[in-house]
Amino acid sequence: MAPADPSLVLAAVGAPVVAGLATLLIPRAQNLARVLLAACGPAASLLLLGVHLTRYGVAPNHAGTTSINWVPSLHLDLSFLVDGLGAFFALLVAGVGVLIVFYSRGYFGNDASSLARFFPALGFFTSSMLGVFLADHLLLTALFWELTSISSFFLIGWERDDETAVKRAMQAFFTTGFGGLALLGGVLLLGDTTGVWRWSDLVATASEIGSSGTVVAAFVLIFVGAASKSAQWPLHYWLPGAMLAPTPVSAFLHSATMVKAGVFLLGRLLPVFGLLTIWLPLVVAFGAVTMLLGAGLALRQHNLKLIFAYLTVSQLGLFVCMYGFGGVTDGHGGSAIDWDLSQIASHGLYKAPLFLIAGALAHRLGTRRLPELFGLWHRGVSGSRVLVVVLLAASYALAGGPGTVSFVAKELFLGAAHHAAASHPALLVVVAMAVLAAACNVAIVVRLVATVFGWRLGVRDDLPGRDVVHGKDRWGPVLWVPAAGLVLVQYIGGLLPPVWNSVFRRLEVNVNDEAFTDGLPWLWEPFLHPGAPLAMSLAAIGLGVVLGCSQRMRGDIVDVHDRIYPVTYRLILQYGHRAFHGIQTGHLRHYLVFVFTLLLLGISWAAWVDPAMLRLPDGVAPFESLTGLLLGAVVCAAAIALPLVTERVVRVLVLGASGFAVVGLYLLYQAIDLALTQLMFEIISVLLFLLVLRLLPRLDRRPLISPRPRLALAALVGITIGWMTLLAGHAADQRTNEAVTLGAFFEEHSLHGTEVTDGRGGEGRNIVNVILVDFRGFDTLGEITVLATAALGVWSMLPGRRRHRNDEGQPGTIAAEVER
Amino acid sequence: MRIDSLILRTAVRLVLPLTVLLAIYAALNGHNAPGGGFIAGLVTTVGLCTYRMAFGERAFHRLFPVHPRWLVVAGLGLTLVVAIIPLLAGEPLLRSASTVLRLGGQELHLVSATVFDLGVLVVVVGVAVGMITRLGEELGP
Repeated sequence: MAPADPSLVLAAVGAPVVAGLATLLIPRAQNLARVLLAACGPAASLLLLGVHLTRYGVAPNHAGTTSINWVPSLHLDLSFLVDGLGAFFALLVAGVGVLIVFYSRGYFGNDASSLARFFPALGFFTSSMLGVFLADHLLLTALFWELTSISSFFLIGWERDDETAVKRAMQAFFTTGFGGLALLGGVLLLGDTTGVWRWSDLVATASEIGSSGTVVAAFVLIFVGAASKSAQWPLHYWLPGAMLAPTPVSAFLHSATMVKAGVFLLGRLLPVFGLLTIWLPLVVAFGAVTMLLGAGLALRQHNLKLIFAYLTVSQLGLFVCMYGFGGVTDGHGGSAIDWDLSQIASHGLYKAPLFLIAGALAHRLGTRRLPELFGLWHRGVSGSRVLVVVLLAASYALAGGPGTVSFVAKELFLGAAHHAAASHPALLVVVAMAVLAAACNVAIVVRLVATVFGWRLGVRDDLPGRDVVHGKDRWGPVLWVPAAGLVLVQYIGGLLPPVWNSVFRRLEVNVNDEAFTDGLPWLWEPFLHPGAPLAMSLAAIGLGVVLGCSQRMRGDIVDVHDRIYPVTYRLILQYGHRAFHGIQTGHLRHYLVFVFTLLLLGISWAAWVDPAMLRLPDGVAPFESLTGLLLGAVVCAAAIALPLVTERVVRVLVLGASGFAVVGLYLLYQAIDLALTQLMFEIISVLLFLLVLRLLPRLDRRPLISPRPRLALAALVGITIGWMTLLAGHAADQRTNEAVTLGAFFEEHSLHGTEVTDGRGGEGRNIVNVILVDFRGFDTLGEITVLATAALGVWSMLPGRRRHRNDEGQPGTIAAEVER
Repeated sequence: MRIDSLILRTAVRLVLPLTVLLAIYAALNGHNAPGGGFIAGLVTTVGLCTYRMAFGERAFHRLFPVHPRWLVVAGLGLTLVVAIIPLLAGEPLLRSASTVLRLGGQELHLVSATVFDLGVLVVVVGVAVGMITRLGEELGP
């Protein structure tokens, strides 16, 4: 099949941000129009992707679209890959995106300024996410990856007056940004090593990728990127921290989309790197630790949003584990991974509703804290019962109760783990961890139910807490209808698997061409063929109920990893401060010593590599004219005298003497342009010096570096640079070994002597000027820009002070300011 | 900074126009003979600064009524335009074009680089005069 046309996908990626920005044009009061326009963005993406999929079908993961050239010199082009994996995630983002737009209308209420601000940021984020999921080019993935970090920063730090929220947003940004850098490094390494810059080509040539050190390093770097985005231990702290964001954002970013980016990337990587021996231990280890840690921490929280956040962390760990099992190679060559997209979809279908309902409860009751929800069912707050019903329906899926997709998904995961453990016995530990994590989920649901109905074993110890709650108004149904819709899909999929399978069978072709089941089974099938997975499920449920009823493990707990970011941040600031003050002394001579030392070291290294640099080039007579020798002696004498005199005025004059001697040298060698320029420059610089001298502060009598080594350094630098200049004029071409003088090229290519100019230099006869305006014209342009900038500096740093004289009628000068 | 001397004033009054003429000549002729925008700018600056030394700040302001920053802006703009025009014609940045005009038996070699040189001249004058006058203001008379 011919590669698909990228413009449809490009339009799908761009639609949300365009629609989001377009909402800025709508007048403030027109909230309905604003919401509808904002919803058009992700809806258009859905439509365009649908058109693309019907026209071209689900691409196998080794067939990207044709590309639009963007930056050919970086191998960068706009090419997209709409395979099962990418299409699934993109449809998820766009679909949930539409619901979130409507939900946020209810959540922000009539707060017009919030709504006006929210939709552009949301559109930006949605587009970045779609880009990540659909990009085929490695660099394009990295680019969109960074864009998601940036756009989520705006969304997490939504409460811009709340210092904590902004700090948490920074924390999320720096953590995921660090991962983004690792990803970029890995992608560059991978692309540079293999010479292949597209995921589709990488998958197609996966067998040739080998397992060299660089490939493994590239994989580890990309994994760090994926793990940071998907909140894997030990970088998981940013996700619960980011819960200060408004609920629509939490529901969108932290359940359905952004945190899934890392999981998605692992799905992309699996066909490429799955055969590396490091894949299984690395991916599974981090995933399993995260899975158990997140579940354990969730059990000890009391704020609904935090509970769900830690559960998300746990679930992400599970997904990472799941893709880790993809690296299992048993005797039959099959990997232990089955219907992975259904499992990921199932999570979005209960976690997003949970977040949405948590936000709706906060909206109605002003709290999300579990103890304050005690006995909510019996309180009779208007409209709260329908919220509770949806909450409990979603919680049932969270617990993995039979009848939901979630139940079958857990079965599939446990089955995969069991299958993997058959060939790798060490993975039994992971199986046990999975059962424990599932038990935690069940325990949380048990406590939630008990609390809401006001049973004795519910959570009610009244701990003081703080919660950010947004405005209230009567846009009620919007707050629960999206959630209910999503939950409904859970149950449809759970009770009528053929409906689910008919949709997902087309997408689930990606990682495993030969899935070992035909899709989600009917509800009763696990019970008809009981096996290890069902036993583990039942064990988890039983353990969870016991855990949920017990009074143990209820106190608030602070995650020790929350200290990672603040401590790192402080250390960086502290050492950065120290390093800064070590380098930036504020003394010009220190900077010069530093620069010149580096220069000398560099040249010494070059001379050590190529000792020919130390030979006097052929055709250079050291002393060819007596006048030149005399002038040179004057220059040298002036240079030596310069540090010996202490008066600045005398120094300026001595420097001038050296300069005029150089003018003489230029004249001697018939470089009239140079001589004229040097002459003018000397005159002006002496003038400037005389003006400036009175403004300078007194000489520091106690130099930090003693002058003698500095004199030696200065002499050495002078001699070295002189020598390099001499060599530069007589360099030998490395390839042809012919003597090449710099002048010869310019002489040939300007109208001096010959008529051959190949159109360069504007046929000028003055080589110096032709160099300035043509061969090195860009340099000249840069130089005059530098000059202009320097002048700007003088004008802005020396503001005219003549009007601000002090009482004695003295002009207020910089020197006077310094004295004061 | 003013040097009160009748001889200097008289000399400067004579020399300044010549200096400016020399500068313009150097700038226009720089393509084929010694000269060029940078030198021309420096020559002009030296002339103007001598004038300022001889006649004082107020007289200088009458002679040079604009703020030097406008010279910098104009000069940079001019050079940028000259640099970019070749791009529009599909040529590399700063590629100079030249043509030969025949005026009554005399050949006049016109090069776009001359305009670039004039831009450099204007920038150099603006920067140097600007710095010197500003530092001079700092010191007072």
